[in-house]
Amino acid sequence: MSAIRKEVDVSMPPDVALHARPAGLFVKTAMRFESRVTVGVEGKAADAKSILSVLALGATGGTRLTLTAEGDDAGEALELLSACVTGLVE
Amino acid sequence: MVGIVLVSHSFELAHGLAALTAQVAGEGVRVEPAGGAPGGGLGTTGDDVWAAISRAENGEGVVVLADLGSSVLTVRHLLEGKANGHIKLVDAPFVEGAIAAAVMAGAGQELDDVVRAAEDARGAKKF
Repeated sequence: MSAIRKEVDVSMPPDVALHARPAGLFVKTAMRFESRVTVGVEGKAADAKSILSVLALGATGGTRLTLTAEGDDAGEALELLSACVTGLVE
Repeated sequence: MVGIVLVSHSFELAHGLAALTAQVAGEGVRVEPAGGAPGGGLGTTGDDVWAAISRAENGEGVVVLADLGSSVLTVRHLLEGKANGHIKLVDAPFVEGAIAAAVMAGAGQELDDVVRAAEDARGAKKF
């Protein structure tokens, strides 16, 4: 049986960049899942479970993120991560 | 959660990095700085490092990062007599290693995984 792969686009809140503290929240949320999760921004992709990779994306407020998850809990992972992104505050 | 200790020659560097690291890691992670000579100036004392380790220890181990040279030697010397396997000095970049380790600790990861995240920070690009 092949692994489940899901993808979803979600936008950062307009006034929040993916800098240290929000990125920490995002990465810790990703780590709750078994699935391999990546976050893509304008052609760059990062391992969503690596804080340094996520910070290096330099995603600013309003940026569209493409979240991809691969694994048995992919659907649940993307649901929670999307909610995490839209709920980020400064 | 695994605790994090940041050892620097400089009081300000250790405390500043601890503030940044604690913010990224979130609540629940003990991030403890040790830096500066007694009475001010640059230096590192084994007593300060040991006190920081004791504050950071929560039963799940402590990861220690040091900035350079004699800070590293101070920690190594200290741990030679006291290490019990739950306190690990890691060879990692000071800032990136601290952030990577603290986020892993904040996610509830075990000591070996926290250590590996700090070590892996060496290859990370800033942009």
